[in-house]
Amino acid sequence: MSVTNLLENWSDFRHKHPVEDVPHDPYKWAMSIDMDACTGCNACSVACYAENNLPVVGKEKYAHGQAMHWIRIERYWPEDDREFPDQGAQFLPMMCQQCEAAPCETVCPVGATNHTADGLNSQIYNRCIGSRYCSANCPFKVRYFNWYDYPTTENVWPAEMVQQLNPDITLRSKGVMEKCTFCIQRIRAGERSVKNEGRILRDGEVQTACQQVCPTNAITFGNLIDPDSKVHQKWKAQRVELDVDEQVKDKEEGGSELRGYRILEELRPYPSVMYMERVRESAI
Amino acid sequence: MIDNDFDRRDFLKVLGWGGATVALTGCGFTSVEDGKETVVSYVEAADYVAPGISVYFNSTCAQCDAGCSISGRVREGRVLKLEGNPDSVINRGKMCGLGQAGVQHHYNPDRVREPLLRNGDKGETITWEKAYALIAEKLNGVSGDQVDFLTGTVSGHLKVLLGNYLDSLSSKNHFVYEAVSPAVQRAANLKSYGMEMPHFNINKAKVVLSFGADFLGAWISPVHFAQQYADFRKGVDGQRGVLVQVESKMTLTGANADRWLVVRPGTEGILAMGVINALGAAGLHLPANVAAAVKDYDKERVSKDTGVSTEHLVKLAAILKERTPSLVLLGSAAEGYAHGSENAAAINLLNQVLGNVGKTVEASNAVPFPQIAPATGNSSALRLANNRLADGQCKVLFTYATNPIFTAPAEMKFKDNMAKAGFKVAFAHYLDETALQADLVLPLDSALEDWGTVVAEYQPDGVQIGVQQPLMEKLHPNTRGMGDILLALIKQRRAEEYKSFDDYYAYLRTALLNNKKEFAEAGIEDDIFWNDLLSNGIINVGGNPNKLVSKVATDFQLPAPVERDKQYPFNLIPSVTASLRDGRHANQPWLQESPDPLTTIVWDSWVEIHPRKAAELGIVEGDILEVASKNGAIRVQAYLFPGIHPDAVSIPLGRGHDALGRYAKGYGVNPFQILDRVFDKETGELAMHETLVKISKVGNRVIVVKDEGPAGGQQAGRKIAVSVSSDQVDLSEEV
Repeated sequence: MSVTNLLENWSDFRHKHPVEDVPHDPYKWAMSIDMDACTGCNACSVACYAENNLPVVGKEKYAHGQAMHWIRIERYWPEDDREFPDQGAQFLPMMCQQCEAAPCETVCPVGATNHTADGLNSQIYNRCIGSRYCSANCPFKVRYFNWYDYPTTENVWPAEMVQQLNPDITLRSKGVMEKCTFCIQRIRAGERSVKNEGRILRDGEVQTACQQVCPTNAITFGNLIDPDSKVHQKWKAQRVELDVDEQVKDKEEGGSELRGYRILEELRPYPSVMYMERVRESAI
Repeated sequence: MIDNDFDRRDFLKVLGWGGATVALTGCGFTSVEDGKETVVSYVEAADYVAPGISVYFNSTCAQCDAGCSISGRVREGRVLKLEGNPDSVINRGKMCGLGQAGVQHHYNPDRVREPLLRNGDKGETITWEKAYALIAEKLNGVSGDQVDFLTGTVSGHLKVLLGNYLDSLSSKNHFVYEAVSPAVQRAANLKSYGMEMPHFNINKAKVVLSFGADFLGAWISPVHFAQQYADFRKGVDGQRGVLVQVESKMTLTGANADRWLVVRPGTEGILAMGVINALGAAGLHLPANVAAAVKDYDKERVSKDTGVSTEHLVKLAAILKERTPSLVLLGSAAEGYAHGSENAAAINLLNQVLGNVGKTVEASNAVPFPQIAPATGNSSALRLANNRLADGQCKVLFTYATNPIFTAPAEMKFKDNMAKAGFKVAFAHYLDETALQADLVLPLDSALEDWGTVVAEYQPDGVQIGVQQPLMEKLHPNTRGMGDILLALIKQRRAEEYKSFDDYYAYLRTALLNNKKEFAEAGIEDDIFWNDLLSNGIINVGGNPNKLVSKVATDFQLPAPVERDKQYPFNLIPSVTASLRDGRHANQPWLQESPDPLTTIVWDSWVEIHPRKAAELGIVEGDILEVASKNGAIRVQAYLFPGIHPDAVSIPLGRGHDALGRYAKGYGVNPFQILDRVFDKETGELAMHETLVKISKVGNRVIVVKDEGPAGGQQAGRKIAVSVSSDQVDLSEEV
């Protein structure tokens, strides 16, 4: 295989999901985030600390870029030369995009990160050897490495605070990569609970912690292949499709009236998170 | 397992609440293998405990005064996570970051665990019996007029008990102090609308014009308003709501505005008058007295005074006239001046002129039982209490839920004055700055261990009484609930009247059952009523609407904008952040590590300065600046921030503790300390934005610890976070 051939026919060679012989069934977890609703309040991030046993690393380690926030709010300013940001700031909740063709997966030397049948990018802690290739290859910079053994680090979880830890989640030790899981413990618990009833999860039966707490309901999470799910309907209304790298919005006439897009789509990671553009009033 | 002689466990069982007794039986790094703990079999688990299964119990959040109802996830007797109670009309199942950090208040390693008596510089552990006896002894021979209570906001039955205790001491000196409170606005609203806190229906407005009201961040009831905001953005009749924010320093709400108008500090009232004038010019009918009052506020003058362009003024008037109803809000940025009341009057006048009263400003309901309605705090109460201490009028001082040594301007010399009281008792969760000066510190249960009722000041629908109940067994055996302590103290004075109440729980239950007919259908059994109440976590009582009026008043004089002081050229804006507020929760590490939304800075304070001004003064990010007022100076790292008026600098409140605990002490600086003693003329409230400062570089520079990368919020042309103009999208087709 020549490099020319590889580059010219990249999309044929590129491993991506869903592929026809292994379709996502019955679940494909996805999100939609409405940035006209997001206020940047950070409630989602705190919820994630509470739900997923994220360590508070402290000022010094934060300065070294070792913060462990699986979901963070990025703040952008308008890029013109106006003296004041007179249309406000722009907030963007950023977490693992659970890419269908995840760049992190292909570089893991031990297969610690790989794709699940329900469309999640999973991280197997006890297989991870800490090469950090995945983090280097992640275009969204949403993978977080345990540089320290936080459970035994002073003042991270002092004796009393240990009792707050969520028993559904393991504590990660030194040398392991971690990231947003779409609250997989909630998904799995939900799946088990409906299994006895012989059915699959309905929309809204599983919420991620960030979605549950969001005061403005900016985050929608659900099963993308369930036509009754909100997330399916939102993706459909915005005409965003999972397995293409250019959406109607950008390529067709009239598409500009839509708001849905995926970040860094041109890199073809096929993210499972659709963002909806922030709107600013034109009359004022 | 923790044993204590307190018989809480018995009544927990009565309630079907026995589950909480399995608390602290294990799980953790010190484990069974170490032999440090006893294995407790779950074969005979207590009621409501099934190993591995979470149970949710409702209670009320105590992290701020908004009164959100919460649902605590409890497993094996431990509370793990706080979520919103969907049945609450205040927060409808949602929460903020501050509220969720309530578990870190409960599990905080720096909580006070034993009653402490001052012995020189040290606190000596004593028993509760001795502590109570000491209080009785110190109150002996002191007249009621010499006993003061200085507290934060109190409501519900705790307020009733506190009132009764004061009554038993013949004291009328209850000072309710909140360092950050909408007190000027309450007075202005009472004049304009006939009530202190009407409903503000953001969700019914097509345009919201907010003068510094940070309703998405820290203003009054932010989780409630954030939900209204989400509806407002979706629109009334399909028309997306438009938010215009007027302020000198961008708040979180300002960062979400369609148009953020930066004004010269203190000129908010002038702008409001200018908008009324422009509305008149655009053809809106103005009553004759209003037209006369605003006739001098033509757009050129207003533009010159405020710094807002005439073009924006005209556009603003046009959109307000065209899209009705609108809503005008007033926040701390407009209130915080010596002419705060006048600013507030002008802003409320704009609401009246626009015809919003009765549409988006509506009558709130009066709490049907005034005894449990909240005693809301302000800063003029601190001034009164401080004067009494300075004059030696107060011999015995009790403090609860307030930390005046941290939040009072140093110029008020509260610490020195407090020392003049013969005996100081602090009811405290932590050894904060104020508790450290007390003679006796009494350790309190956390909000997740205690009983109570909470009535929030802002009631969006009817009146909701929040029920607070223990989500788990007490973490430390020697802490007590505030209600239990007050009951013990009141029994010292009026044993006969209170003898039938073994504890605060019994008191609360009796009090609520006595009024059962007000809350529930007739004939319901006591136990069923009580269990329903605990399971709901809230009691909805209708309450009668206050009488809404629209009293148009124009008898106020707005001062002309002041010339810049040559020696102190900047206004200091002490900003209130959503997670740290007045600093009482700064020892919760999630909040310290939760980036400030606008600067993304963590674990430290900063001073915001406009990039243009910084360039003039040769200041770059991370320069340590000395920010000096007439009353003191603090040294803090510089952050270049485009969302601030060049004549102002801003430092967030809440950090800069020299006590409180390991996550708070030594992080950042405390701008409360350098505030000038300027007060709103009408209400006597501390004018928080009136402090003038000068800044100078001290020479060293640090790397600012923040989440934002080196690109500083720029996207380098990539499509990461995208905005679109409202005329380019079709929102009607959206799901």
